[in-house]
Amino acid sequence: MNDTTPSLPLPPGTPPLVQLKGIAKYFPGVIANQDVDLDVMPGEIHALLGENGAGKSTLMNILTGIYRPNAGEIIIDGYAKEFASPLDAIAAGIGMVHQHFKLVQAFTVAENIHLGWDKTPKRASAQKLEARTAELAAKFNLQVRPGARINELSTGEQQRVEILRVLAREARVLILDEPTAVLTPAEARELFKALREFRNRGNAVIFISHKLDEVLEISDRITILRGGRKIATEQAEDCNPRSLAKQMVGRDIVLADMRQRPVGAAPISSEPVLRLDTVSALGETGLSALHGVTLDVFAGEIIGIAGVAGNGQRELSQVLTGIRAPSSGRILIDGKPVARANAADFVEMGIGHIPEDRLHSGLAPALSVTINAVMREYKKPPVTTAGLYRPGAATTLAKDIAGVADVAVPDFGMPIRNLSGGNQQRLVARREMRIANKVLVAAYPSRGLDVGAINTMLKYIVELRDAGAGIVLISEELEELLNLSDRIAVLYEGKIMGVIDNDKVDIDEIGLLMGGRQQTKEVA
Amino acid sequence: MDLLTGLFSTAFLAGGVLALAALGEVLAERVGVVNLGAEGLMAMGAITAIATVTATPYPMLGFLAALVVGALFGMVFAAATVWLRANQVLCGLALTLMGTGLASTIGRSYSGMPARAVFERIEIPLLSQLPILGKALFSQNILVYLIYIILPVALHYLLFKTRHGLNLRAVGENPAAADAAGIPVNAIRFAYVTAGSALAAGAGAYLTLAFVPSWSDGVVAGRGWIAVALVIFAGYRPIPAVMSGLLFGLITALGFVGQARGWPVAPAVLSMLPYLGTIALIIVPVLAWQRMRRVMAAPAALGEPYFRDVR
Amino acid sequence: MLSGLRLQRLPSAHPGIALGARVAAILLALLLASIVLEISGAAPLELGVQVISATFGSTYGIEDLCLLLIPLLMTGLAVAVGQQIGAWNIGAEGQFYAGAFSATAIGLFVPGPEILILPLMFIAGAVGGMIWILVPTLARAYAGVNELITTLLLNFVAALMVYYVSTGPWRDRVGMSNSATPRVKAEIPEFWGLVHWGLPLGVLMAIGFALVLSYSKWGYEVRLSGSNPSAAKYAGIPVRRHIITVMLLSGMVAGIAGMFEIAGTVHRLQGGISNNFGYLGIMVAVLARNSCVGVIFSAALMALILNAGIILQTQGLTTSAVLAITGLILFLTAIGDELAHYRITRIKI
Repeated sequence: MNDTTPSLPLPPGTPPLVQLKGIAKYFPGVIANQDVDLDVMPGEIHALLGENGAGKSTLMNILTGIYRPNAGEIIIDGYAKEFASPLDAIAAGIGMVHQHFKLVQAFTVAENIHLGWDKTPKRASAQKLEARTAELAAKFNLQVRPGARINELSTGEQQRVEILRVLAREARVLILDEPTAVLTPAEARELFKALREFRNRGNAVIFISHKLDEVLEISDRITILRGGRKIATEQAEDCNPRSLAKQMVGRDIVLADMRQRPVGAAPISSEPVLRLDTVSALGETGLSALHGVTLDVFAGEIIGIAGVAGNGQRELSQVLTGIRAPSSGRILIDGKPVARANAADFVEMGIGHIPEDRLHSGLAPALSVTINAVMREYKKPPVTTAGLYRPGAATTLAKDIAGVADVAVPDFGMPIRNLSGGNQQRLVARREMRIANKVLVAAYPSRGLDVGAINTMLKYIVELRDAGAGIVLISEELEELLNLSDRIAVLYEGKIMGVIDNDKVDIDEIGLLMGGRQQTKEVA
Repeated sequence: MDLLTGLFSTAFLAGGVLALAALGEVLAERVGVVNLGAEGLMAMGAITAIATVTATPYPMLGFLAALVVGALFGMVFAAATVWLRANQVLCGLALTLMGTGLASTIGRSYSGMPARAVFERIEIPLLSQLPILGKALFSQNILVYLIYIILPVALHYLLFKTRHGLNLRAVGENPAAADAAGIPVNAIRFAYVTAGSALAAGAGAYLTLAFVPSWSDGVVAGRGWIAVALVIFAGYRPIPAVMSGLLFGLITALGFVGQARGWPVAPAVLSMLPYLGTIALIIVPVLAWQRMRRVMAAPAALGEPYFRDVR
Repeated sequence: MLSGLRLQRLPSAHPGIALGARVAAILLALLLASIVLEISGAAPLELGVQVISATFGSTYGIEDLCLLLIPLLMTGLAVAVGQQIGAWNIGAEGQFYAGAFSATAIGLFVPGPEILILPLMFIAGAVGGMIWILVPTLARAYAGVNELITTLLLNFVAALMVYYVSTGPWRDRVGMSNSATPRVKAEIPEFWGLVHWGLPLGVLMAIGFALVLSYSKWGYEVRLSGSNPSAAKYAGIPVRRHIITVMLLSGMVAGIAGMFEIAGTVHRLQGGISNNFGYLGIMVAVLARNSCVGVIFSAALMALILNAGIILQTQGLTTSAVLAITGLILFLTAIGDELAHYRITRIKI
């Protein structure tokens, strides 16, 4: 659905609402931004496009006063400004909705809206705050529940709270960082409608994304960042996905159809290697997270799990890998039921796991690279013989893994957190793929990686599939799922809404299922 | 006085130490900083009060001097933990060692002497005629009124009914969110850690000027630690914190009554009751009610240093 | 160009720099203490000379130093072991008392030849320490209750218990003192001069733990569980079981420390038997960055400081002052540890 409303015609000589000139920002070992210029006019939706690590979020953190730039100027409405703290940016009319919401989980919606706001009355009882919140919601036409606690809300609702908070502060520049990652296709359309209304009132939107189609749909102009530098600013109507991708990555990328099997690849098995049979499970908080999930994983196949994050994906991957015991139902591996959940046993049986927050649960950041690398194989020879752990053998194994993962490690004894996030992820992925000869459960494997690394990662997954493993691919990127999976299951509120053959897939149908609507026709 | 009135009277008096220290710790922990130096701060406050009162016989001056000393130490602690972002547990332990050691050293010349001037009783007209409560609560010294009535109500109002309270609680829950909302995280942490330290030292002054009232080596006897534990039990809220202090005062009072009446339990065992009681209070509620864990939940960012400009 | 310099925080401090920060912290603390001494009239340089000559000037002095080293090494080891699983055992003081208490009970009331009684006392000390940390351990393992405060509060209970028995039921009614028990006959044989076999045993224990942690499968699992329990669970490691085992071991070591003190050094149970060894043990472990082998060296340093305090008691310095200086060292070490993460870099424009 393309927007047909043109952006407002501006009187000549109107200064840009926001102008960034020559911005630079450095972190230990990394140049996050270098010599970046950006200007945003009133009445436009301006997209900031670039792959992971290109410097988009950093640049916006500078614009919102969270980071101080190492060089460069910020000019608002023609006047140079220094943002010593987020307060200054807010006062200048800049508001940002971050990718990871800056909401206090234990507080209510009303409390979060009124946080740090000088218009909040000094005597602020809960009722007063909730009443004011209801007024604001009505004014900006955003549905929120003032008295609900944030940890009870869906991510879509939380995003609305964030947006309302920003709008209430009379922001004229609304910055959104990867907003559709947590939305169903329908919710994304609602968001775009609201953004266009905001723009048409003479305000500006800066839309950060790495999704080409989305960016082309919503924006008036597009600025592309790569490696911390600005590559170009284009009018959206002059661009197409191919040209944008090339500018984003710096070279032509060819997206192969990953579903094609090469000659000699393992066929899809007739019996599932891993099966969940009406499995239910409780989540971290003790509330039910999975309800009666039945899922089959066949060898030599990739089954994709679609769904907005927070609908049970974490518990699903934990149940599939033995970290979490189901509260009811059975797990069958190669047709035999598993007696008790035990992550170590599942590893023995050849089930690997690339976890969702790999840097936190897949690694011990303070321990050495070696210790982290052998985490899946430390019990067996050559790393451990007769109860004795051999550091030499461990280091050899670690070097092996690092070599295959193409990660340069200066010192295997140093804490693994000294490596970059991307390198850490590659090590984890390789470590898992080594032991995953039956099943690999990969949760959001491309998160945090740039396009080149993503391609490599997906290639490895496909190789694993061709060697005969079954892959469970949990992802929030529908494109990725469509490109790779043989079947797609949709997860919503802990239930499998439907499992669809990729050949017969219909994006709108998946969108509906992701949003909780029932399947209209059953497809095996 | 009959037994019940006497018991409660002692309970309020004894519990005041813990209640005041607990209030100070609530302030610090609500902004996300765990201050394990409470014990050392109490010791410093105790000796400061005695020293001041020996020089000039005005107990209120002693109390204020203790507050100032507590604030000074608190600022050093805050500088290390909030600005420099050093490990809070280690700095707190260090503060306790420093405070206790320093107070013992200074206190040698004051050991055993009764305080030259103490806080006298002030009877509140009308209210002090109430049965039991009248003598127990409303015929006490002025600090008791401060600790049990004025401060908890004021702090409760501040924390939960004002804009400023909302902001400061956010600092303890999610400093990144507070920062993004424009709240000065470091300034608020610094201020409330200092204020909390002042109150902890004030509790020490109360100990030597109103409760014991004198100084001796080891007079604090772990009360600072009990106060830290009570804050957990009280769910980081001012009014329950003060009530827990009173509960402890009651246990202590029972011990005194037992000794006075010659109960067949060794005094040393009676002295153990407060510590064993505290341990029970921390463990039992969590075991008994799973839901308790969420109700009594600590501010989510408690104990974590906040780095803004770091990836 | 000065404008090209930036202060950056690294995710990990370089070990060499962290060590340097520690040394700087200790020196700075001693410097500050000297300044305070100077202001209050004492002459720090003279005192320093006095300490050095008293300590190293005679074998007697070195023996005294070693006798202090033993309990500090053991309590430091106890805390360091606890830290391997991420537990803060602040209760080493109480476990020390509990170990001393149990060992004395055997020593005073169980008849038998020394060759039988000594091992029994050793076991009693170990078990006493384990019992003393049991409740905090279970509370941590099954209810997630922070062990810092529970272990610490038990310190006071243990001190009261020892005070009670040594001035009450177990009081030495024959001898001069009425605040200590009679002399326990079983004695740990001497190793060198006055120094008993507790020292080499303690050193062996420290090395033993270090070896097991680095070279066994169990050690790997413990280190992983201590560093990141979620990663350990993800790897299928039974974290809860390891928490219990390691915390009990930590208590055991502190209890043995108490037994060594009774059977090797003081031979009587009395109120002040622990010279704050439990708390100083925390300092020892922190200075050694929780390394089981490192505690041998930081305990030696701590023994020097404590010994200095005892020597200077004749000059009016109390052990409380030593405690205060130790606190200052800990404070500056904590700051130094954090500052060691920063480096000054030149930005290439």
